[in-house]
Amino acid sequence: MIEPVNVALGLAALSAVLSVIATYLAVSDRDLLRALIFSALQSTAYAIIFLVLMAPDIVLVYVPVAVGIYPAVVLALIKRVGRFEGGEGGE
Amino acid sequence: MASRYLIAVSIALVVVSLSFAVAYGALGASVPLEGLRSLARAYVTLAYAPWNRTLTVMSPEAVTSIVWDFRGVDTFFETAVLFGAIIGTVTLFRGIKPSARIGEGLSAIARSAAAVTAPMILAVAAAIALHGHLTPGGGFQGGATAAVVALVILVTFSLGYLVSGLSKERALMLRSAGLLGIAAVALIPPILGGIVFQNQAKELSQFSYPAYIGGALTSGSLLFYNLFESLAVAAGLTLTIMLLLSPHEVVEEAVRGEDHERI
Repeated sequence: MIEPVNVALGLAALSAVLSVIATYLAVSDRDLLRALIFSALQSTAYAIIFLVLMAPDIVLVYVPVAVGIYPAVVLALIKRVGRFEGGEGGE
Repeated sequence: MASRYLIAVSIALVVVSLSFAVAYGALGASVPLEGLRSLARAYVTLAYAPWNRTLTVMSPEAVTSIVWDFRGVDTFFETAVLFGAIIGTVTLFRGIKPSARIGEGLSAIARSAAAVTAPMILAVAAAIALHGHLTPGGGFQGGATAAVVALVILVTFSLGYLVSGLSKERALMLRSAGLLGIAAVALIPPILGGIVFQNQAKELSQFSYPAYIGGALTSGSLLFYNLFESLAVAAGLTLTIMLLLSPHEVVEEAVRGEDHERI
């Protein structure tokens, strides 16, 4: 029988792995719009980790800021500087 | 290509070293930590303690108790920093008038979905803010959630549609009303003989906000702080989003106009 606490910690561990992959994709992608979506994915994984670590107050502020407002502000930035890093089409 | 390997290797290094540190007890041997320090124990036990009316906050939510009562002045300055940033944005974009021209927006399906979900998000935001003294949440969390509604409307309908309902001036006014409300709740106690940011009666000062209103637990000033903070944060963040997502031409025109005047 698996202990409930281990299920919760396993969920956190899975989210942590997901967040690492999303972070790598967000940093390495030259398409800034896709990088932004990966960044939001990483934030979602962090929100799950915060929930498992019993910080619901942080989750409630992290979800709207990291998935709603922050992408909107970065989207405004991407609109100004162009979608692709290093000029059209990348390297 | 080399930069991709560099990124991968550095992320892997951070992950491995952090995992190593956590596995060997950098955060304590278990989650959550065992054995609270005396200060933390006092916060947790005094948050809701009707048997100790001169020290308690009368709120079962320890986080909100710390945010608006035990460490209330900290939160006040934190709010001041956030609003300094928002005032900076508004000043930077001061020439811009978000156009009231209502655009087409996204497809009818997206607009219908937004019309259904927007009031639901707003209801959740209100619940988070107004139950902040009872359950996880609070003014900032509720306000940030409410600002997402404005964002959803802006994206699915259009900036003009949002501005026609909530103009720049009205958002500024709501934000100021929220801030003034916070200031009023903080300053009413000293006017009536208490201490700044006082909530419940203390040994040396008998002023007290009502802990119960009509039989419902309102935790004194916490409900009012959460209400005004959510109003100020929702209006402030909506205003910022409105200005940052204004059309490129409008921003260009406003900025160019400034340059002409200076020359």
